[in-house]
Amino acid sequence: MPIRETFWNIPHWAEITQYILAFVTVVVFLYGVGRRVLRWRQGQPDATRRSGHFWRRIWSLVTQVLAQRRTLDETYPGIMHFTIFWGMLVLAVGTALATVDWDVTHLIFGFQFLTGWVYIVFELALDVLGLLVAVGLGMAIYRRYVTRPARIQDFPARSLAWDDLYVLVMLAFITLSGYLTEGLRIAVTQPDWAAWSPIGNAIAAAFLALGDPANQTLHLIVWALHVLTAFGILASLPFTKLFHILSVPLNIYFRSMQPAGALLPARGDGGVKEWKQFTWKQLLDFEACTRCGRCQDVCPAHVSMPAFSPRNMMVKLETHLWAKANGQALHGDVVSAEELWACTTCRACGQVCPAFIDHIGAFVDMRRHLVEQGEMDNLLQKALMNLGRYGNSFGQSERMRAKWTQPLQPPINDARKTPVEYLWFVGDYASYSPTLADITQKTAQVFQRIGIDFGIMYDGERNAGNDVRRIGEEGLFEILVEKNNQALSKCNYQTIITTDPHTYNTLKNEYPWNGNRPAILHTAELLDQMIASGRLKFKRKLDYKVTYHDPCYLGRYNDVYDAPRRVIAATGCELVEMLRHGDRAFCCGAGGGRIWMEEKKVEERPSEARVREAAALAGVQTLVVACPKDVTMFRDAVKTTGSEARLVVKDLMELVHEAL
Amino acid sequence: MNIIVLAKLVPDLVEELTIDPGGAALDLTFARWIINEFDDHAIEQGILLKERGGGTVTVLVPDLDGADDVLFTAAAKGADRLIKLGGDFNGVNNHALARAFAAVVKELQADLILTGVQAHDDLDGSAGPLLAECLQMPYVGYVSGVSINDGKSLLRKEYPGGLLAEMEVTTPAVLGIQAAEQPPRYVAVSKVRQAMKTSSIEEQDASSLDPCGGPTVGRMFQPEAAAHATMIAGSPDEVADKLVDLFKELGVL
Repeated sequence: MPIRETFWNIPHWAEITQYILAFVTVVVFLYGVGRRVLRWRQGQPDATRRSGHFWRRIWSLVTQVLAQRRTLDETYPGIMHFTIFWGMLVLAVGTALATVDWDVTHLIFGFQFLTGWVYIVFELALDVLGLLVAVGLGMAIYRRYVTRPARIQDFPARSLAWDDLYVLVMLAFITLSGYLTEGLRIAVTQPDWAAWSPIGNAIAAAFLALGDPANQTLHLIVWALHVLTAFGILASLPFTKLFHILSVPLNIYFRSMQPAGALLPARGDGGVKEWKQFTWKQLLDFEACTRCGRCQDVCPAHVSMPAFSPRNMMVKLETHLWAKANGQALHGDVVSAEELWACTTCRACGQVCPAFIDHIGAFVDMRRHLVEQGEMDNLLQKALMNLGRYGNSFGQSERMRAKWTQPLQPPINDARKTPVEYLWFVGDYASYSPTLADITQKTAQVFQRIGIDFGIMYDGERNAGNDVRRIGEEGLFEILVEKNNQALSKCNYQTIITTDPHTYNTLKNEYPWNGNRPAILHTAELLDQMIASGRLKFKRKLDYKVTYHDPCYLGRYNDVYDAPRRVIAATGCELVEMLRHGDRAFCCGAGGGRIWMEEKKVEERPSEARVREAAALAGVQTLVVACPKDVTMFRDAVKTTGSEARLVVKDLMELVHEAL
Repeated sequence: MNIIVLAKLVPDLVEELTIDPGGAALDLTFARWIINEFDDHAIEQGILLKERGGGTVTVLVPDLDGADDVLFTAAAKGADRLIKLGGDFNGVNNHALARAFAAVVKELQADLILTGVQAHDDLDGSAGPLLAECLQMPYVGYVSGVSINDGKSLLRKEYPGGLLAEMEVTTPAVLGIQAAEQPPRYVAVSKVRQAMKTSSIEEQDASSLDPCGGPTVGRMFQPEAAAHATMIAGSPDEVADKLVDLFKELGVL
């Protein structure tokens, strides 16, 4: 009957030594893990976001850890990681089983469970899965040292490259030594069922010529090295990149189950000045980073300022937690104000991160400190002062907010005086920007043509505060919320509509509605509903070939992808997608308050990169957007890239207006 | 070092200005008041001096809509004492303002008095020199930097044409600030809110508001479209001929 003596050829003293080493390994392992946990516990409490939703959390462990869904979003690195993960997992469990089989059940209870066909399956599974690990490791080594993609190069600390090398060497060695041990054992014992270990058997064949007792001695040496490597890996796990095996599942389990658009509120005044002011979950975030660099690949700020990378931010923050020199200041020594202001809060990083790190939450917390210190450029300061004084970043009187309505007949209802079904929250850019007045007027005309009952708040409206909050000016955000709530409370309405995804996001996810949140629709959703119900019918069929840019705060933050596409289809336009669309759409560069800041010398503006991407699509003449800021950003970029002849930027509303 | 900063509130130009029905003044019924930009620099300069050399900063503001905001913002930046001067300051000229300020400042044992070098509503000269006269103190205007060493104040004064001068002034003195050494800092709303809780505004009544010495405005009006320029076209000779004709017509030649 197929069976195996687990510790064949292993002298008793070696087996005992192994258990002593195992004990030491466990002690080191527990010390290392405990050290990390104690560090996280020095962070601030963050109970509300981390509890509840037990089954949803378990389910994300199944899909994201076991099934590796996000990791597999990219084929090569996905397969590479998947094979190593599952291969190593099964090999580790298999090795443990074999040990239990011999030293627990056989030793204590006098029976073995790895016998007969179970043993055959066991041997075959381990043999094949070991090969899977070898394939994965081969892919990893080839990628890291031959193809060398930029995103896994140039870490802020050189020593991290050694960490990467260490992990690959250890995994390669444990696989190799495992096969060798098996091969040598088969070469000596030559069991009848050796064919079920095809790789081990092949290795055995190579060693047959060597004969005994050379093979037996070699087997003992290789076994010892295999054991040492295994314990080495386990003991070093909490001290190396391997720690992600624990930190990533924890980080996925504790991820926020709130809408992506609800930013972590400020904890007290002043934001994060030193690392202990981060929440424990943010500290866990930093330690969950595996430096895979996917965030860097999709980051618009990295395009304009290559020195900035969300990957490096995580790496630097993690290193800082353990920095021996405690004189090191988080602000200045670890992260610079320039880096913190570079982020557009587009959330592309968070969307692709296989570890579910919330980069932006940490950035905004640190920005809050900069705001408290008044450390910002002059334009941003001016914008914040204007927002504080006049409720808009343009520094114009609130009495001018509805100036764009003047040529419109019939006049638009004042929702504070007349009950309306739809309250239109117009937003700063649509209200004040002279270049957008035309689109805002067309939007009103579209509403009037559909015949919906709507009104605006005129001078009662203020900037909704989405980007003020992301700048880190929480106090100003609160004032804006307060003022808007005062105005809203005077209005009688059912649904809030807006063309601005930023306004949409904060109203929907951050305003305190006290359980009475009205329906909040982006105009793309409203139009989609109107088309579906037959209230909006088009007279003209447009025959443009267009592409559509998903605004970050509509798409990634609020999962509105289909509504604008259905509206585009209804106008008769043919939609051609850019490579980066949907949740991978590339930010225009305006978000998170970037639109208010001085533009430094940049490698390439994100808006220009985006316009080039759109202009490269064959036959596409129109870039359709669904955000007032996008119109501004992309129309500028069309000019600066000299694409005027190739591409026009149109708001979704302009398309609809044209097709009416 | 006891530093006093005088800040004026002026009509915010974001709103359209209207002329009073009398036709000789602004209609201030619905005016929105904002701190005079130069006075904001004066506050910043005061805070910078305190941060560098210690001392106290007292900010003095006439009681107009928005005075509390200005004072609490100054406190959030680091001002120690906040004084609001009560009285009907709507449309008051700088002569009256200077006299009212002087009465309060006399009691404060100031070493340095900082104020903005000018304001857009200075119809009767800027407030700084008027105040210096009331207090019998020296005045230096267009100051863009102050440093204090061994009780001496060394000033950087800007002259037109990019000329800079350094001069010493004996204290106490009044300085008209053109620009602080750094732009007025941003102060977070949370800090202003904190200042509202921790600092208090002292209210003092202006003894009297005496506008005597200021000009009497005959008429105040919106800019009126002037006559357009005439462009003379043609070759240089033709243009020269036309010019000569024109000069003769105008009686210049």
